[in-house]
Formats: sequence, structure tokens, C-alpha cells
Amino acid sequence: MRKFAALALAASMLLPITAAIAEAANLTVGRGASTTAMDPGFLKESATIVDNIFDTLVMRDKDMKLVPGLATSWTAIDDTTWEFKLRPNVKFHNGEAMDAEAVKFTIDRVLDPAAKSPTVSYIRTIDSVSIVDPLTVRIKTKGPDPLLPTRMSRYPAYIVPPKYVKDVGNDVFARKPVGTGPYKFVEFIPDQHVILEANKDYWRGAPSIDKVTWRAIPDGTARITALLTGEVDLIENVPVDIAPMVKASPDADLVQVKNGGLTIYLGLVMSEKPLDNVKVRQALNMAIDRQSIVTNILQGMASPRGTQVGAADFGYKDVPVTPYDPKKAKALLAEAGFPNGFSIKVQSTHRYMKDSEVAQAIAQQFGDIGVKVDQEVLDWSVYTQQVPRKGPIFMLGWGSTQTLDADAAVYAIFKTGEPYSTASIPALDKLLDESRSIVDPTKRAAVFNQIQDLAVEQVPVIPLYQEDALYAKAKSVTFEGRPDARIPIFDIKKQ
Amino acid sequence: MKTLSFITGRALQGLVVMFGVSAIVFFALFLTGDPAAMMMSPDASRAELEAFRQAMGFNDPIWVQYGRFLASALTGELGTSLRFQRPALGLLIERLPATALLAMTALLWSSLLGFVLGTIAAIRKNSAIDFAIRIISLLGQAIPVFWLALLLIIFFSLKLRWLPSSGIGSAAHLIMPSIALGAYYLSAITRLVRASLIEVLGENYIRTARAKGISSWRIIVHHALRNALIPVITVQGMYFASLLGGALVTEIIFAWPGIGRLAVEAIQNRDFPVVQAVVLFAAAVFVIVNFLVDLAYVWLNPRIRL
Repeated sequence: MRKFAALALAASMLLPITAAIAEAANLTVGRGASTTAMDPGFLKESATIVDNIFDTLVMRDKDMKLVPGLATSWTAIDDTTWEFKLRPNVKFHNGEAMDAEAVKFTIDRVLDPAAKSPTVSYIRTIDSVSIVDPLTVRIKTKGPDPLLPTRMSRYPAYIVPPKYVKDVGNDVFARKPVGTGPYKFVEFIPDQHVILEANKDYWRGAPSIDKVTWRAIPDGTARITALLTGEVDLIENVPVDIAPMVKASPDADLVQVKNGGLTIYLGLVMSEKPLDNVKVRQALNMAIDRQSIVTNILQGMASPRGTQVGAADFGYKDVPVTPYDPKKAKALLAEAGFPNGFSIKVQSTHRYMKDSEVAQAIAQQFGDIGVKVDQEVLDWSVYTQQVPRKGPIFMLGWGSTQTLDADAAVYAIFKTGEPYSTASIPALDKLLDESRSIVDPTKRAAVFNQIQDLAVEQVPVIPLYQEDALYAKAKSVTFEGRPDARIPIFDIKKQ
Repeated sequence: MKTLSFITGRALQGLVVMFGVSAIVFFALFLTGDPAAMMMSPDASRAELEAFRQAMGFNDPIWVQYGRFLASALTGELGTSLRFQRPALGLLIERLPATALLAMTALLWSSLLGFVLGTIAAIRKNSAIDFAIRIISLLGQAIPVFWLALLLIIFFSLKLRWLPSSGIGSAAHLIMPSIALGAYYLSAITRLVRASLIEVLGENYIRTARAKGISSWRIIVHHALRNALIPVITVQGMYFASLLGGALVTEIIFAWPGIGRLAVEAIQNRDFPVVQAVVLFAAAVFVIVNFLVDLAYVWLNPRIRL
């Protein structure tokens, strides 16, 4: 009897240890959004999971520098032709070879107008892809495209296996993806989870985490609870309000990625009076106390901004944040012919960090210079239908974290006539066009600097602040977060 | 004969309701704007938006689109989800078992407990225990589901670590969502059973039964409860029908993979066909269950059969 008890005791002491060893290789990630499909050519959601199954020709390291991926090198042969040398001996999870044909197939299927890819715009500068030899491809662009290597580093340019896709068709491929990436697809149950296992033959080496489970937990409190109770190891989208819960926990850390989120701005419909008047725009710009909003409402989880271009972007200029100066703002309004202010509608939604509280604070600050605000807060699904046409002032988040280039940050919201732009400033349009025709990086950067300077003067939009990306993780897991919002499980370790 | 015309009448009413719902569902969604702008990536050009709109048929006159919608709905074809690129009906059917499981569990425990509490309260009318039960049932209907759900998560998952905070899989996963969802029905059923039983207990035939010296236990079980049940069953039919349409808040908070969550995410993403499918499905379930309840009524209550 005593012997038995001793054995049982020994067994019970052993159990947790073996359990810990078995568990160490598994990781569970809690996400806010559920996955609908995993075909990288036709994504309608972020590429977070897909990014672990597939590879791109060009990759970004953790400092966001472009580094070789499935391509070992790339060069611009002339203004409109880029040549990529492919990595030899890389195989898809099903054994197919990754070669020039796969690259051509990947791009052609997204460009095909009949396929109606929702992300074709990300690679629409491409004219054609030609195969030079099995390990060399040339990509021809319609005009000079300095961003082509960047375009090859993100979706929809994750390389897919031609034979498998043709055999099973797009629908099955989206549910049972096969790539060259560090993780192989295992199981997908909609609204529940996606399970991946390590690709031991991965060309960068075997990953240290054996199995990853991506769980969809839409509610923020439930997501944090799942982390604090150890049901998941890492979560995305931590709501600002309950972030302190994570900070207070002995088992979890808050991961705050500076410059990892969207830049929030006020769009101004310039076709409407009085926003056509530059002095009015300047006055509104000065009337906002960004620092106080960031400190008091956003609890420091954002950084005030003077430009729409992200700090990590190519072409970024460290434009100082517009100083809060209600007196000068009032004087400018008087100069513009509004000594007693005016009334205007400001629209906002529920999508960004504490956006309605911020909109309320701004309404008050506008009130201080005599601008009476009619505040309207709409549900996102309705909001997207009205913004950016209605406004006339509306709050929106915009980001360039996917390309890390100033082009993505400004072109679509500054250029006259673009779907999301409500500005119309001819001098700015000229510079924006110029920026798209130059390949030379130094000259491009100079043009972007000019654009940002002109934006300070002309105020096509009112930049407010850039949100941090907020993650939370178990202490046993290494994860620092990345400005491009990816979660590369390959780089994560668990003790 | 009268029974037959009663049943056909109810069936026809159901059809009219379904037709009305389909019209409302279709037109209401289009009132809010352009789905193409939402489905395409934000930096899509105008030409791309236009091509997409054309391809999806969003440019046709709205009544043409409605005709197309109705014709295919009649053949069981409810369109393809814009977000999943799969038939909307398939997505719905996939999630039905999870929703049905949650609905049945919530309704089962709340009915049983509500029945017991309601009976006790009715028998001990105006006593302290009746008062306590009435307070509980008032609270159950007054507390918002999302608040109760979060309290349950914080208490049972975070503090006590007894139950998994969200998701589906084991019986333990079912406990908190069904409590959160059932609390409202517990209150409703308790109050209904109490009121209905008090009324029946005041009837002449009960007094006669008492005068004949039948034990009060027998009176309650065999005579009173049976009659008090009729309104309760009607109401439960309604509850069950509405629950099968998905529990929006509960399913979102507990990450329960059911129809309610599908609906909420479809609304957020302006996934027209899925929203339409869910609403039509919920309406159809409601109409069918209502019809079955009417049939049960005929069977339970001979007075209707006259």
C-alpha cells in the first residue's frame, strides 16, 4: 500500500513535467476576427495566418528591411523590368517544386480580370511576367514602379503551387492551402480555429513551435480572459480600456508596438464651404490638443502626428506635430471671414481606439474657437457607405504598414478624385503624380518630403495620431510585435 | 372541418409573412448604400469598383435584383457569401447544430427550473419565498445578457478557473453561454407559470376537487399544472424559434460558432447574402414553429376544435 502511494506520488510529480514538455511546442493565438478563407490571392481579411503558410519572393526582417525570400536577389534591368533569381530546391508542402512557373502562375491568376481578385490593386502596376529559365523570372510593369520589390513582399504575391491549385480549384485551395512556408495546414473549422503544424523541411530551418492553433474570439474581454487563464498564449487587438488588466497580471505582458497601428486623421470635404478655405483648415488643425487626447483618452497608446506618413515608412519626414494654439486658430477664422465661427457636422464611427470619446473631445476643442459641432457617430457598416463623401468632416484611420512606403500613406487620401480622397489641391496633385514616376530612391524621398511640407501648409487632411498596435502574450512566449502587423510564428519561442 | 380551415388559414398566413419578410430583408439592406465599396480594398480605383459592381449585378434596377433574389430563394438558393465565397445557405446549415445545442440547453434548464420556482411561488403566494423568487425573476429579465456573460467569464474563468472562457468543444464550454442565454427565459417562465397557476388554482373545478378531499399534491400535479401548461408551451415555442435564429450577443461574447455570430459578422462586413439568408431562415423557423404550436394548441385545448 505504501509502495503504491509512493508510486502514485512519483507519477503525479512526473505528470506535470511531461505535460509541460508536450505543451511547450504548441502555441495558441486568439484573434478578434474569424478566418473565412486562406487563398492569398483572394484575401478579404488580414494575411496574418496565410503569412505563416506561404512565402513571398521578398521578405521583411524584423527591422522592416527588405531581405531575400523565395528570391535570392532582384535587380531592375530597365525602368520597367525587374528580374528575380529564385531560391533553388524549395518545395511546396505537397512536394511540388517552387520555380519560375509557380511565380508566373501566382501573379497571372490574380491579374486575370475574370478572377476578380479583391486585392488586384496591390499589383495592378504589373503588365506581364515572363519565365527566363526555371529559376529566373522577369516582371514587366506598365510604367516605372519603384515599389515592385515591396509589392512582392506581401499579399496577393504569396507564391502558390500551380498544379495543386489547378487540380483542386480555388474553392478547395482556400480551405486547404498548400504553400512553401514554415507551417503546413492541418485543419480549418470556420468560426472555431485554424490548426497548422511545423514544416520540418522549411528552407530557413525547422520552426521551434510544433503546432499553432488560431482561435477566433471576437469579444475583447473574453480574449484577454483566455490569455490570463492560459487558454491562449498570444492575443491580437487588446482593447485600450482593459489593457491595464494585462499589465496587472503576473502571467502576461502587454506588447505595445509603437507605429504599428493606423494613423487617425480628420478628412475634410473640400468641395464644401467653408472647408475650401485654407485658413479655415489651418484654424481647425491648430484647435486640436493632440497631446492631451493621447495622454488622457488613449492612455498613451498612440503618438501625436504632424504627417500622415508613418515613422517607419520610406519617405517619412519628421514633421513636428501642429502646436495647439486656440488663440491663433480664432484669429485665422476671423481672417477667413468667420469671426463668430460656424456650425459643421463631424462624423465618426466605432472602429478605432476610443474613437467616439476622441471625436467628442475634438468637438469641444472646436467649440472653444467658436466652431459648433454637430456630432454624428455611425456604425461602421453604415459609416463606410457615407465616408468619405458626406462628412463634411469625418474621422478615419489610414495605414501604410503593409508597404511601409509614403505612397500608401498619402496618395489615396490626398490625390484629387481618388475614392478615399476629399482633397483637391493642384500643387499637391502635381507632386503626387511626380512621386509615382520616379524610380530613384533619393529623388523619390525628396518629393515625398515636399509633399509633406505642402500638406502642413495646405492641410488636405488633419493628421491626429498614430495608434500603437496592442498585443498581449503569456510570459512564457517571446514576441515583440512588428510594425507590419504580422505574427511570424517561425520567430516565436516558447519556454 | 373547422379544424382544417383553421390549419389552412394559419399556413396561408405563414406564407404571407414569409413573402413580407423577404421584401423587407431585401430592400432594407440596399437602403444603406453600395456593397462594392465595402468589398473592394480601400485603394481600389474607380474603374475597378465599377467593374466589380457590374460583375456582381449591383448595377441592375433594384426590382430586377429583387426578382432574381426571390426566384432563387424559392429554389433554396440564397446567394453566395461575398466574404466566404461560398453559398450562404451552406454557411448557415454548418452553424445550425451549435446554435441548436445552445438553444436547447438554455431552454431546458431554464424551463425545468422556471417550472419548479413558478410552482413554488404560486403555491406559497405572497410568502417570503414567493417574494424572493419574484425578485430573482425580475433580475433575470432586467440584467442585460452581455453584462451577465462578462460577469460569468470574470468569475468562473478568471477568478475561479473552473470553466473555459470561450469556444466550443466540451460540456464545460456549454455551461456559461447557456446560463447567460437562459437567465432571461428562466425569469419569463417562472413568472408565467406562477401567474398561470395562480389563476387556475382559483378556478371552480379546483375548489370542487378540494371539496372532494383530493390531496393538494394531486390537485396541483393532475389538475392545475396540466391546464396551467398551455400558455407556457405557447411561449416556449416562441422562445425556441427565436433562439434558433441565433443568440447574437451570447454567441459573440463566448465565441460560440453559431448562426448569431455568423449574422453579426455578416452585418459588420456588409455580407448581403448571408444577412438575408439568416433573417429569412429565422423568419421561416419562427413561422413553422408558430404553426406547430397552433397545431399543439388544437390538440391540447379542445375548445379551439369546436
